[in-house]
Amino acid sequence: MPPVFLLPSSFSLFGCLRCTHAPDLALAVAKDFSPRVHRPASGVVVLDVSGLERLLGTPETIGTELLRACGGAADRRRNGSALSVAVAPSQIGALLLASVAPGLTVAVDDLASALAPISLRVLHRLLAEIHGVTVLRPKRAAGSARQVAFWKPYESAFNVFEGWGLTTLGEVAALPSAELSARLGQLGVDLQEHARGCDLAPLVPDPDVRRFVERVELEWPIDALEPLSFVFARMLDPLATALERADRAAAALRLDLRLVDRSTHPRMLQLPAAIRDPRVLRTLLLLDLESHPPSAAVDIVTLEIDPAPSRIVQFSLLARARPSAETVATLTSRLSALVGESRSGTPVLLDSWQPDAFEMRRFDTSGSTRQVLCDGFDTSGSVFIRRFRPPVAVRVRVEGGRPVRVAVDRRGMPGGHVEQAAGPWRSSGAWWDRVARAWNRDDWDVALSDGSVCRLFRDRDGGTWFMDGVID
Amino acid sequence: MPARAHLESLLKARKLDVTLTHLAPWRALERQQQDLAETGVPAVDAALGGGLRRGHLSEVIGGRSSGRTSVMCRALAAATSRDELVALVDTNDRFDPLTAAAAGLDLSRLLWIRETGDATRALKAMNLVLQAGGFGLVVLDLTDVADRVVRGLPFTTWFRLARIIEGSQTVALLMASEHLGRSSGGSTIALERPSPSALWAEPGSHRARLLSGLDIRPRVI
Repeated sequence: MPPVFLLPSSFSLFGCLRCTHAPDLALAVAKDFSPRVHRPASGVVVLDVSGLERLLGTPETIGTELLRACGGAADRRRNGSALSVAVAPSQIGALLLASVAPGLTVAVDDLASALAPISLRVLHRLLAEIHGVTVLRPKRAAGSARQVAFWKPYESAFNVFEGWGLTTLGEVAALPSAELSARLGQLGVDLQEHARGCDLAPLVPDPDVRRFVERVELEWPIDALEPLSFVFARMLDPLATALERADRAAAALRLDLRLVDRSTHPRMLQLPAAIRDPRVLRTLLLLDLESHPPSAAVDIVTLEIDPAPSRIVQFSLLARARPSAETVATLTSRLSALVGESRSGTPVLLDSWQPDAFEMRRFDTSGSTRQVLCDGFDTSGSVFIRRFRPPVAVRVRVEGGRPVRVAVDRRGMPGGHVEQAAGPWRSSGAWWDRVARAWNRDDWDVALSDGSVCRLFRDRDGGTWFMDGVID
Repeated sequence: MPARAHLESLLKARKLDVTLTHLAPWRALERQQQDLAETGVPAVDAALGGGLRRGHLSEVIGGRSSGRTSVMCRALAAATSRDELVALVDTNDRFDPLTAAAAGLDLSRLLWIRETGDATRALKAMNLVLQAGGFGLVVLDLTDVADRVVRGLPFTTWFRLARIIEGSQTVALLMASEHLGRSSGGSTIALERPSPSALWAEPGSHRARLLSGLDIRPRVI
C-alpha cells in the first residue's frame, strides 16, 4: 500500500507515559484516562487524549493530571522510578518528547520546533525499543534473530545519517525528501516523517482492550489445506459476527498454527482495507498458506483479528464502478500466489535518472495522485520501449565512434546493420553506491536492417554493449 | 404483452437488447458509441469507428517495432484518463513504466502482473483479473512468446476469455505477433511495419538527431 503520512492536526492529541521501571503502572493509569491505549514498548504507553479538553481543560492540564495520577500511583506502590509524561498532536511526537526528559513536556502549537533540537540518538533508541531490540554498541544490536534482522535497515539508515554529520531531528527534517528517498528509499522518508513528528499509522488500540481471538485444538492433526479451510470457516464466522456487533472490521489477521513437531507457524496478513466478510478472510488465509505452507501437520489453530473501524462506502451513480476492496484483496492475493509476491502490483517511479528505476507497490483502487516525472525526462510520450530485464549482451562493431553492426547470439533477437542511429546519450549516477546501483552508460537508438528499432547502451566502466530493449 | 416486456427486460439486463428490431436506429447507434473505448491513437480509432467495443475481446498484432507497444500504452493511458482501472498481464516482463507514464498513463490505476515467460500462468492471471471485474481495459501481452507455445494453447482459450467479459464494460486486448483469436464483436488491429518505420527528428543547428517515434500504420481486419 502507498504510505500515508498522518499529519498532526488540531483535532488529534496524544499523551505518552513513560515509566520503564513499572511497566504495568503506566498502562493502568492510561486506561483510566482513555479507552484508546497503545503500548509500543514495555513501560511506554501512548494514549489518545483527544476530546479530554472539554473534561479536564488545556493540554497542559491534561498532562499535569496524567503526571499526578502516575505520581500518586507510584507513591502508593512505593516506587520511586522516574516518570515522564508528554502531550503532543502526534504519537511519535509524544513518544520523542517523553524520551528526552523526566517530568511533563507539552508541545501542541509548534511540534516541529520542539522536536528540532532533540538528538537523533533519541529517535534511534526509541525505535530500537519499539522494535524490541537492545542497542549494545553503535553497530551491534541484541534481540531475537527476527527482531535484529528487521532492525538492520534502520541501523544502516542511522549509520548513513551519522556519516552525513546529522545529529538532531531538525537536521533530518530539513533534508529534501525526494533526494532522501532516492538514497535511502522509503525507510529514509519514514524516518524523516518521524523526525518531523508525523505518524506513519493511526493509533491502533492495545489488543487487550478488546480481543477478537478464536482458538481450536484439533482432535486429529490436519496436514492439508482443504480440511483446514473448514476449520477457518468455523472460526471466522463467530469472529465476523463479533466484529459486526462491535462495528469493527479486520485490519490484520494473525494466524498461529501449532504443529505436531511442537513448532509454531505464525502468519500475519495485513489487509489493504478493513474487511469483515468471513469468506474473503478465509480465502486470503488459504491463499497465504498456499504460498507459505506449514512444515508439518497442524495441531492447534489460533486466529486473532486486529480490529479497525469498519468501512463506510458511499456509492455514486456518476462515478465509474470499481472492484470492491474485498475483491481487490482476493485478486492480489491470488495473483501473488500465482506469480510471486513482488511480481504483481502497481509500479511506482523512483525519483532517479537511472534507467528502469521503479519499485512495485501493492495495487490499491483508491487511485492515489498521479506520479510526476523527473524534470528533464522526455514527456512527449512518443517512444515506447519493450525492455529486456536484464539487458541482453550484444556484439557491436563500432566505426568512427558509432555502432554500425549489431549481432546477438540468442535466437529471435533483433540484429543486423545499423541503418540509422542517434546518440550517444550519456548518463551516470549513484556513484556513492558502486556495488548495487551505480550506472555509467552511453545510450544509442538504432534502426537495424531487419526493420527493428532498438535501444543499445555501452557500459562505460566495462566497455560492454547491451541491448536495453526494442522500440515498439 | 407482459411476457414480451419481461423478455425485453431480461435482454436489457444482459445488454442484449441491441438485437431488438423496434429500437430506433439512432438509439442503437448512440448506445454503440457509448460502448466504445477509445484507444488514444487517432489512426486506430478512425479505423475502428470510434474505439474498441466493450465487453469484447480484441487483438493487436504486428511484427517487431510495428508500434504494438505504442498502441497498448496509449490505450492504457486513454483508459486511465477516463478514470478507469487497467490491468496488464505482461508475459515476458517487457513493459516500461517510465515511457508509459510519459504518454499519460496514470500508473496508480495500473495493475501490472509481471510474468517470466510462462504463457499458461499468464493466461491464468488474465482469467483471474477478468473474473474479478471492474477493470476498464485488461491487456494480455503475448508478443514475445515463442510461436510454438502460443500455437499450443487450446483454441477454446480465447472463447473462454471472451465469455467472461461478455456484457461487461471491460475491454480485453490481446497483444501478439500473429492472429490468435477475438470475440464476435471484437476487432483485429494489424499493424504494418513500413520501411523505414522509425521517425527521426530533424537535427537542428544546436540539437542532435533524436528518435521521435514510429510510423504506425493500422489496418482493421
